[in-house]
Amino acid sequence: MPTASAIRQVIEAALVERIPSALTPAPRIIRPVSPTGIPAIDEVLSGGLPVGAITELIGPECSGRTGLALSFLAQVTVVGKVCAWVDVSDCMQPESAAAIGVDLSRLLWVRCGVINPVQQPASRFELPKKCFVPPPVTKGLHGGGFGPHPRTEANGLSEAIPELFFGPRCAEPQRRVRSAKAATAPSQLHVGVRKAIAQARPWARMEQALRATDLLLQAGGFSAIVLDMGSIAPEYAARVPLATWFRYRAAAERSQASILLLTQHACTKSSAGLVLRFDAGTALCDETTVFTGTRYSVAVDRERFAPASANVVPMRKPPQGVRAAEWRSRAAWAGGR
Amino acid sequence: MAEPCCLGRWKMTNPALLYACVLAKEFPAQVMLRLRPELWEKPFVVMDGEPPLEEACSYNAKARLLGIERGMTRVEVETFPSATVLVRSRAEEAAARSVLLECAGTFSPRVEDQSVDDTFCCVIDIAGTESLFGPPSVLARQIRERVRALGITASVAVSSNFHAAVCLARGHPGKVTVIQPGNERAALELLPLTVLDLSEDHAQTFSLWGIRTLGMLAELPEKALISRMGQEGKCLRELARGEMQHLFIPVEPAFSLEERMELDSSVELLDSLLFVICVMLDQLLLRAAARSLALASVTITLLLDGGGSHTRTVRPALPSNDRHLWLKLLHLDLEAHPPQAAILAITLLAEPGRKSKAQLGLFSPQLPEPARLDVTLARIRAIVGEDCVGRAVLKDSHQPDAFRVEPFTVHSGAAESKLTQVRPRPAMRQLRPPESVTVALHDNRPASFSFRSKQYGVESAYGPWRINGDWWSPTLWGVQQWDVVARAQDGTFLCGCLVHQVATGTWQMEALYD
Repeated sequence: MPTASAIRQVIEAALVERIPSALTPAPRIIRPVSPTGIPAIDEVLSGGLPVGAITELIGPECSGRTGLALSFLAQVTVVGKVCAWVDVSDCMQPESAAAIGVDLSRLLWVRCGVINPVQQPASRFELPKKCFVPPPVTKGLHGGGFGPHPRTEANGLSEAIPELFFGPRCAEPQRRVRSAKAATAPSQLHVGVRKAIAQARPWARMEQALRATDLLLQAGGFSAIVLDMGSIAPEYAARVPLATWFRYRAAAERSQASILLLTQHACTKSSAGLVLRFDAGTALCDETTVFTGTRYSVAVDRERFAPASANVVPMRKPPQGVRAAEWRSRAAWAGGR
Repeated sequence: MAEPCCLGRWKMTNPALLYACVLAKEFPAQVMLRLRPELWEKPFVVMDGEPPLEEACSYNAKARLLGIERGMTRVEVETFPSATVLVRSRAEEAAARSVLLECAGTFSPRVEDQSVDDTFCCVIDIAGTESLFGPPSVLARQIRERVRALGITASVAVSSNFHAAVCLARGHPGKVTVIQPGNERAALELLPLTVLDLSEDHAQTFSLWGIRTLGMLAELPEKALISRMGQEGKCLRELARGEMQHLFIPVEPAFSLEERMELDSSVELLDSLLFVICVMLDQLLLRAAARSLALASVTITLLLDGGGSHTRTVRPALPSNDRHLWLKLLHLDLEAHPPQAAILAITLLAEPGRKSKAQLGLFSPQLPEPARLDVTLARIRAIVGEDCVGRAVLKDSHQPDAFRVEPFTVHSGAAESKLTQVRPRPAMRQLRPPESVTVALHDNRPASFSFRSKQYGVESAYGPWRINGDWWSPTLWGVQQWDVVARAQDGTFLCGCLVHQVATGTWQMEALYD
């Protein structure tokens, strides 16, 4: 009486050329995921965003990418891990992050291309300086001088005469003579402004961000790194070499960090472990007086490590699961409805 | 029965005296060589005095073999082309002296400084330290090794008589000498009279008498010597016999981790400066490690050409004794904040701290390594700017952008806040600086606006929400905020926060809901 295992071996040996290991269940690799905190998305992704891989969040502005990324960071920081937000456009609002639940003490914020990192003091009400300078007392007819005595009448006349005769006396446009210093040497302010403008260029900011991300990945220990290029135009984001994303993918796998990339256009191609495409949201109109929130929708574009159902390719196309999700984000002031 | 008790009391009140004398000859030259390892194999002379009347005051053995002598003028010294000539630095000598005293203080709290102009000499009261450091010979070798690690070659002599220890250290340069109590006279008798600080008259007198060694001086009859030389003669005889008593006056060396170095020529390149800093840092780390401490912060002060100074302080998250880490942090900091002129002198002042100990849990989350994170943050700071890396801390204010950025540190403890809300909240993307928009109003409400060269029609506008400055402070801002939901003709959806500046009457897009 042959045993079940012996029969299985005989059948597999007979089918080995057509269906390799037909009756042996495929080894299942359980890949760790981290929840996003949004139940609808977690359900679609079977638990959350992959750990040790790049997740690309693609979508236009006002499509919910930032909200999802911050919600994910809130879930990561609440268990005591540390994260980093590499802000290419200096767009993150700490108040908003704190409201979503991110522990700001565990979030490293790298601001790229900051023109003036020092907080500008708000305008102070001050009287202009000219108010404190007493107006010059005009003496005489042309500012020259005269006195109570005829002897002092001609005092200051020599200074008054050139202004009277050689100054502009008509409405014609006068040619402005620039001083030699102003014409040749650029002022310090001018140099500072030029430097700030150079720093504000998208490619300069992106280069800073990419280098900073590289360093963070090398340092290790960050459980999630968000590279926020959400406000960068696609023509700039697409210029990042694919080798960069490949390097990030390898580093993320090594350090078990989740890299979230916020873009408007797909950049990482095959290096991405998961690609989520966001559609433009629609506003919730629950109240007439206050803004209450937005309804967002997201679809899974690509999932590198999608669980395979079986190692036998069925003849019919199996039923496809729902690969899209919708959720509503309600403002804190909108109440509990 | 009473005798042992009396003996014990006598022993407790009058413990056996034991002194160790540490003596470093040619101290000015040794101090200069201490932080300049490249000169160790070369003839080297230190000149003292005001130019042009400088004289050679100290030199190393190689210079002595060349024929250089004390008191030579600069012109005479320059006839030896292979000799390196440096100017004496009193500040460096003072720093090295305090380092040596502090080193001596690690063996006993009672240390007396007996230094003279060009010789460092300190005497350590080592009575009762046998249980800690072993027998006196072992202790003496330990002292010499510790001093040698600091870059100074010294002789160490141990004796129960204070002055005998000093004389022996002078008489046996570079060696360790230990004499048993009671053998002082025998140990001293072969030493020349130069080990005593004789005045010229006394030296001439003894020379006329034919007295050349301490043994010969000790043999002289006491009364006859006093009748000829007075009480000084008696003191000299007691010194030669090893019987001179001494009132020990201990100094209290302050523990300060400071190293100073005056450069031979002004330095402009950061890389060459780092070679010097590396040697100084080694010394600081060695001294801190001798007390089981680590460096918590290092302040570097550069004396610049023209009289100015440039001070920078580096403070990592945790105290560390890792030389590479400190060097990298100082390098990155000086690279980000370079001095504005050539450098003439360097002072490193370190603050000691306890060595960091962290007990990691088996299930605790993976966190960045503090030392590595410090270097990473310094590197990122060099890329993006000084104030652009850190953690955000919110201010208690309604002012826009009411936050400050503080240095990022990793807390290994549990998270402070508990995530209670499960509902997704809308996030805002702040536009810094706010972008100007052209708004068309209808019934004093935004009806359409032009943003980023695109025309948007407003579907819903909520507001205005007015915010202004605190009435108790002179800071003034007054704005009206509108939450707008808008759609462009091509269907682009926009949901943002429009701001109307009351003072200027301008409209700006401040943030976008995302």
